This record gives sequence, structure tokens and C-alpha cells, in this order.
Amino acid sequence: MRTSIKSRVAAIVAALLMVSLSCGIIEAKTPVTITFWPSSNPQEIEFAKIIVARWNKQNPDIQVKMEPLPASRSTEEVLLAAIAAGTTPDVCANIYPGAISQYIAGKGLYPHDKLPGFYDFVYERSPKEIVDSFTYRDGHIYQIPWKANPVMLAYNVNLLRENGIDPRSLSTYSGFLKAAEKLAKDTDGDGRIDQWLYAPSTDVTWWQRFFDFYTLYIAASGGKTLLDDRGRVAFEDEAAVAVFTFLRTLFDKKLVPKGMLIGDQFLGGKVATTITGPYSIPYYDQNAPEGFKYDFMPVPVPDGHKGPVVTYGDPKNIGIFANSKHPLEAWEFVKFIMSRENDLLWLEITSQPPYRKDIVDDPMFAPYFKKNPMMSKFVVQGAYTRGVDDSKYLIEIFDAISKQYDLCCVNGRKTPKNAVRDGARDARDILAGW
Amino acid sequence: MKEAAVEERQPSYLARLRMEYRSSDKAGYIMVLPYVLHFLVFVAYPLVFAFILVFCKWDIVSPMEFVGLRNIQRLMRDTTFWTAVTNTLKFLALHIPLQIVFALLIAVVLNGPIKLRGFFRGAFFLPFVISGAVVTILWQQLYSTDAGVFNLILTKLGASPVPWLTDPSIAIYSIAVMATWKNVGFYIVLFLAGLQNVPRELYEAASIDGANRGEQFWKITMPLLRPVTLLVIMLSTIGGFGLFIEPFVMTGGGPAESTLSVVLYLYKNAFQFLKMGYAATIGFALALMIFLVTLVQRKLLDVEQPY
Amino acid sequence: MRTFKKILGYVILTAAALTFIYPFLWMISASFKPESEIGSLSLIPKNFTLAGYGAVFTQIPILKALFNSVFVSVISTACVLIFSSMVGYALARLRFIGRDTIFNLVLLTMMIPGQLTLIPMYVLIVKLGWADTYKALIVPAMMSNMGIIIFRQFFMSLPQELVDAARIDGCSDYEILFKIFWPLSKPSLVTVGITTFIGSWNEVLWPLIVIRKWDMMTMPQMVTLFSVGGLAGAQVAAEMAAATMLALPVVIAYLFFQNYFIESLALSGIKG
Repeated sequence: MRTSIKSRVAAIVAALLMVSLSCGIIEAKTPVTITFWPSSNPQEIEFAKIIVARWNKQNPDIQVKMEPLPASRSTEEVLLAAIAAGTTPDVCANIYPGAISQYIAGKGLYPHDKLPGFYDFVYERSPKEIVDSFTYRDGHIYQIPWKANPVMLAYNVNLLRENGIDPRSLSTYSGFLKAAEKLAKDTDGDGRIDQWLYAPSTDVTWWQRFFDFYTLYIAASGGKTLLDDRGRVAFEDEAAVAVFTFLRTLFDKKLVPKGMLIGDQFLGGKVATTITGPYSIPYYDQNAPEGFKYDFMPVPVPDGHKGPVVTYGDPKNIGIFANSKHPLEAWEFVKFIMSRENDLLWLEITSQPPYRKDIVDDPMFAPYFKKNPMMSKFVVQGAYTRGVDDSKYLIEIFDAISKQYDLCCVNGRKTPKNAVRDGARDARDILAGW
Repeated sequence: MKEAAVEERQPSYLARLRMEYRSSDKAGYIMVLPYVLHFLVFVAYPLVFAFILVFCKWDIVSPMEFVGLRNIQRLMRDTTFWTAVTNTLKFLALHIPLQIVFALLIAVVLNGPIKLRGFFRGAFFLPFVISGAVVTILWQQLYSTDAGVFNLILTKLGASPVPWLTDPSIAIYSIAVMATWKNVGFYIVLFLAGLQNVPRELYEAASIDGANRGEQFWKITMPLLRPVTLLVIMLSTIGGFGLFIEPFVMTGGGPAESTLSVVLYLYKNAFQFLKMGYAATIGFALALMIFLVTLVQRKLLDVEQPY
Repeated sequence: MRTFKKILGYVILTAAALTFIYPFLWMISASFKPESEIGSLSLIPKNFTLAGYGAVFTQIPILKALFNSVFVSVISTACVLIFSSMVGYALARLRFIGRDTIFNLVLLTMMIPGQLTLIPMYVLIVKLGWADTYKALIVPAMMSNMGIIIFRQFFMSLPQELVDAARIDGCSDYEILFKIFWPLSKPSLVTVGITTFIGSWNEVLWPLIVIRKWDMMTMPQMVTLFSVGGLAGAQVAAEMAAATMLALPVVIAYLFFQNYFIESLALSGIKG
């Protein structure tokens, strides 16, 4: 009896420990499996499912296991944590070039130029400038250029027409503000404004600024990004003040809603424009109510702007991780993802233009563009895009700008000039790495 | 391991220890072994590590770098950190009084001859057992300026809608009200337990002396409830300093940093900016503040042990 | 006059209680409403729809999260009951070197705010390679200081004759603890069990930090990310459906064991 209960207790304790400790073992991979993390949006998962199924059928010895990225606040946090923990996948198809310095600092990514036939493949597929722009300071390249989402202004064709607004007038700040005044109305007579031209995000999360301040800044400055070639703060200028003034005026004059709107009110017909990328096309087509008509145009710029409108390109690349036990097999799989056939499939499913040379003239892609004329606008805009600066402090700099945006534009607590000055000061402080 | 209060005498220390070991219950060592291991790995090691981090710069992926007192100096002049501290204090300034008044009021009513006491007590307690995630997601909708339930009621009554979460001077108080709603049931139960320990004879004696209900409350109930009150204040202070999920889900710290709490700032530094050393410094500053504030509360309320 | 006062008391109490229950009813009803109806106060959906639940089930592996949460909470609670009662027993009933030191450590570590050790704990989990595993959620939660104190207190109150008699029968300390003390300690076991289970079930911050894979997430974490991370696509009905599913297990358990819940949590508050 004495031993029986003692051993029984010990057995329970041991069993509890085993259960909790063995969870890791269950997850262990078999040697020929490659893990692949696509982005978590529904279209990209659909694409990933199709190509993974095809690949697995064709390559019984290299099986790919797909695990969509958790859609937490950002992919960057997830990948950094995975690098620190050594739990990176073999391939990730949502590498954001702005965070690449951090990934490289953590020795997370594989030097892709060492892969067999790397340059033959990428130069064949993508324009040389694009490939070179993603080459890191140390001469290696840690990512494979994949696709971009030039950001444009989507507008509700009928809503603008009904209110007598010519979409072309939205191309400058003054025209945009005038139209905003015309549209801000109480349509159901309850004494509250419920229709707007534009509803900028009031969320302070850093990446929200990609789709308001950053895009507008690139456009207003004729294609500048936040830092210069030597990695110094470059956004303390008139263009930034102009963007802050523009956004602040919208909030100040109550031409845009300050609270969060419930539901997607662009599709709901309450907000006439939104700044977004081509990936919204399939979403709109699936979710738009009957008779909803939309189109795209370049984002607004300050009055008197000359030359083409440059915009944020929202580039996303594919990367193979240093931790991968099968980089060569992973490379084969990546080449498969980026093949001509799969680029077309990708375009068809997600409406995101791949970095592929002469795509509009390619006979294989011609039927697609004929069927989707709106996409050619994005391909045209694609020639005038900027990505993000290469700095490991980028998230923090965007957070600092977001703070000023919130203080100045949304809440009117600061002049645009002071907001830009303070944002630049904070950014310098951050870059100094105190 | 240190032994408790062993006096050094002849025979030698070690011999005495050996003797003591021989006469002790051996099972004790095995039974506390899991605790000791757990303590060493998950309490002692992280504490020492956190302390070291205060003097380092580290982004998890690159090597750790010793920076001396730079994190502490930075903390002193980091306006964002002090904004977070102020926000937390503002939160507590509304949360604690609201909590105590409401909990006490309901507890006193429930302590009287009330039918359906179980039902009422259960209703007030319900939010407390439910995940903070549910509560915040739910209240975010209730607080919505354009379509939230509160503003719908206000506009029906002819008042103008309130920007609950979008006005920098209101948002933190909106969160404090929500947190009170979530936790007050727990404190009602604590007060109820305290009230039930007040001897009935005291009230009887007082009413014979001609004291009315109000006098009885202030002269008998309140003094006897002091330990429970201190407990409520301390628990809600400690909980309030830990404010995180509410601003994380509802506002992300905005508008204009008005709902940025200390823990949210710590989280951002650690897991968004990868400033582990700085985040650890914030953690120690927070622990120090909690310690000091609860110490002051203890002194002010003049209770040595609240329980 | 007296009855008037009484009625007034009930009216106030009922109104207050309603403000505590109404938001939950609103949440449940909103989860069955189409988007266009959500901005109304009515609790009965005019056009009943399961679209919100459909969105949750198609977009996130909520059932896996439910399993993860149950698994993690049950194992952690079992571990806490076993280990804390062992420590409580040793501290209450056994004589050994370092006993007082350990009891002081238990009291002291209860004062340490969790935020302080958050980062080193995260680093530790990463270094151990436990990120994205159940171990990260279970092992650090296997011990409870409050549990130890409650068990110690209770075990000290049990009569020494019980122990003496058991020893004469040749029982080991383990047998005394698990065969004699445990059956007598139902209130303490329930108290520690419920508080641990609820605490574990509702924890958001820790899983948010150590779990990144969808497969491994707990319910509150997944539901939080679902509504914060924009996956819900600003569909309020879907957010409310997810929140309802997260609340439901606890509410059901609460309805069954209401008194246990309240008393045990109050007790833990007073003890802790």
C-alpha cells in the first residue's frame, strides 16, 4: 500500500509533466518537410493552398506544409519573435523590406545570392533596378522581389456623381477639401453628419500611417522617403508640413469622422474615397452591394504639384530563413511560386501585381488585363512607387510619426509645423540609438 | 538554501545542521522541491535577469550591450513614460473611489433583508468572471461615438453624443468606468463578507443608545470595514497599475496618448521596438511605484495587516 | 413610507443589476444580427442570421483554440492542486530545514508584480525553445503562491490525531496528504481550483507574448487578435460572435457553481 499510492502519485505527476513536455515533440518535423508561411488574408491563403497542393503532388520527396502567419498586430513582430526563438519557417511569403535590417541583424535570413542560379532567375523575372534596390549594404541579397501594391485613391463613382463632384478635382488638396465640404452631410436628418468624402484612420498603430501620412508624403515630396541615402532623417520639410496641414484641416473642419466607423463604410456608401491597394479589388467585387461602382486614381497632392504622382509601393517579398535545413529545396519551391504560370494565378486570385518584366505586353497575361482594365492602372502607377527605408528603427520612427499625427491632425493639439519638427526630432533621437 | 534561525554554537554549525537534518521529515524536502525549482527558474532567475537588463541594451536578436545607467537616465526624461504614469494615476483617481462607493452601497443594500439576494449578487459578479477580452471588445462597441448603445440612449434622451473613446480628455475615464463595471462585483462580495463579520449586537446596542441608521453606518460599520476597505484599495491599485488589455484592445493608447498605460508602454518597448533593457527598466519603475503607493495607503489608513 | 422606501430600493437595485446584465444580452443578440441592425438597442434581431458565427468559423481555428484553452487550463489547474497542496502540507505539517525560509519566499513572491518578470520570462521561454508550445503556457503556471497559502492554512487547522492515527497505520506523508487530507479539503480544493482555472482561462497578455501560431493560441488570445488585428474586417457581428463563444463556457460554469465561484474568489481575495 505504501508504495502503491506513492508510485501512483508519482505516475500522475510524471504524466502531467510528460503531457506538457511532449507537446514540442509532437510538433517535430519530418526531414523532407518545408514549412511555408503565407500572409493571412483570405486571397493569399487561397493562392497558397492551390500552389502547395500542386507542388506536393509533383514533388513527393519535398513536401510543403503551409501555416498562415498569425494576423496579430504585424507580421514583423511575429517574424522577429520567431527569429529570436529559432522557430522560423523555411519560406515566408510576406517579407516586408522595411524590417529586413532587423531580420538580418538577427541572422534570420539566408543570403539568397548563394543559392544556385539565383541571379539568373531573378534578373530574368524582375527589372534589374528592383532587384538591385533590395540588395543589402553588405552586398548580399536576403529577399526575393515578389510583388508590390501601389497605393491609390479608390472612389465611389456614383456617390461623387450624385453630389456633382468631378473625380479629377480630387487630385489636389484644395479640390479635395472643397469636395469634402460638399459631401459632409447629414443624410437621414437625425442631426448628425453621416456621409463623408474620406475617413482617415484614427488608429495610432504605426503601420496605419502607411496609408495616410506616408503615402501622401511620398506623393507630395515627389518621391522622397523618410530617410536619406545616408540614413538621416529627411522628412522635416515643406511636403510633410503640407500633408499634416491637409489632414489636420479635414479633422478640424469636421469634414471626416473622428470616431471609428462601424463596418466598411466605403462599401456602405457613407464614405466616398479610401486610400488602398489593388488587393481591395477582389474584396470589393465580392462584398459590394448591387450597383456599387468604384474606380481608382492617384492620391491627392498639394496644389501646383508637377510631374507624375509617386506613391507608396507596399512591396512584399519572399524570403528563405537561415534556420532552414533545406534551403535548396526551399529555393526550388520559391522558384515554383514565382513561375510565370503561378504569377498569373497569383494575379488572378489576389489582384496584386508581381514584379515581373513587361507583364502588360506578355501574351500570357494579355487576357487577364483585357478582362481587368482597372489593374492596368496599378501597373502604370507601379512605375512610380517608393518602398520603405532600410532601418532597424523603422517601426519606432513610424510610431513617433503616428504620435504626432494623432496629436496634430486628429486632435488639433499642435501646429503641423511643430508636429513635423517634433516627429523629426524624435526620429533623430531614435536613430541615434540612445 | 538558507536555514532558518540556526544559532551558531558548539558543536560546529555543520554538525548541528546534520543533526537537524537527521531529525527532520525527509518527505518535506521532496514535497517542496517542485516549488524550489519553480521559484529558481521562474521567479529568481527572471528577477536577476530583469535587473541585469536595466543596465543593458538588447534587441533579443543581437548581442547584449552594457550601457550603464543610460536606461534609467532616459526614463527620467522620457515624457511618454511620465504621460503613461499620469494616465495610470488619472485612471486610479476615478476607478478606486467609484469602485469603493458603488461596491459599498450595493453591499450594504444586499446585506439588508433583500429577496433574490443571490440573483443580484450573481448579476453584479458576472462581469468579473468573464475574460477581459470579452469585456473590452463589448464595451468598445457600447462606447462607439456614432453607433454605440450609450450614445443611442443619449440621443434618444435629447442629449448630444459623447466621444467616449475619441476625446483625449475623456477616454481614460471611460476606461476607468468600464474597469469598475468589470471588477465591482468582486469588491461587493468582499464588502459583504466584511459586513457579515460585524456583530449584530453592536447595532442593537447603538440603536438602544438612540443612534440612527446613518450614525450607525459611520460610527460602527465603516471603522470595522477599514481592513476590507484597505484590501479593496490595495487590490484595485495593484490591478490598476497593471492596466493593459483595455487600452490595448480599445484605443491602442490613443487618442493623443491619453490612454497609454505603463504596461502598454512596456509592451510596446519590449515587443514592438525590441528595447528589452528599457522595457525592464519600466518594469522596475512600475514595481517601485506599486510598492510606494500601497505603502502610503497602508500608512494613511493605519492598518498594519489588511487580512 | 417604509414600503415605498423598500420598493425604491428594489427599483434601484434592479436598474443597477440590469446595467450589469444588459451588455451581455446585447452582445449575444448582436452576434445574431446582420450588420445593418447592430446600431439598434433592440435585443431581438429582426433578421436572425448566423453569418457572424460563420465568419468566425471560416476565418479562425476557434475550435482548436477552445481545445487549447481547455487543455492548458485543466492541466495547469491539476498541477497547481497537486503541487501547491504538497508544498502547503510540507509547510503546515512537516519539520525540515528551510521551512520558514520557504514560507517567507512564498509570501514575498506574491508581492512581485508580474510585469516585472515579463521580459525575462519571455526570453527564458524563447531560450528554452518553448515559444509556440503548450509548455510555455503550462509550466510557469504550475505553482500558485496563493494556493500554497490557502492549503497551508487549512491543513494547519486539521487535528493532529488524524495524522497520528494514519502514521500508526503506516501511511506515508503522500498517503496522508492525498488519501486523508484531500477528501477533507474540498472547500480549499474548489477555491484554489476555480481561481486557478478562471485565471488561466482568462489570461491574455502571457499567451499574446509566447504564442504566435494560430494552431497554438488560446481562446482569449485568438478572440482578441481576431477583433484587434482586423481579421474580423470590422464586422461587429463576427466580433460579438467570437466574444460570445469566449464568454460562454465560463458563464455556463458560473451559472452552475455560482456560489462556489463567489465564495472561493472572495476567500482568495481575503487570503491574498
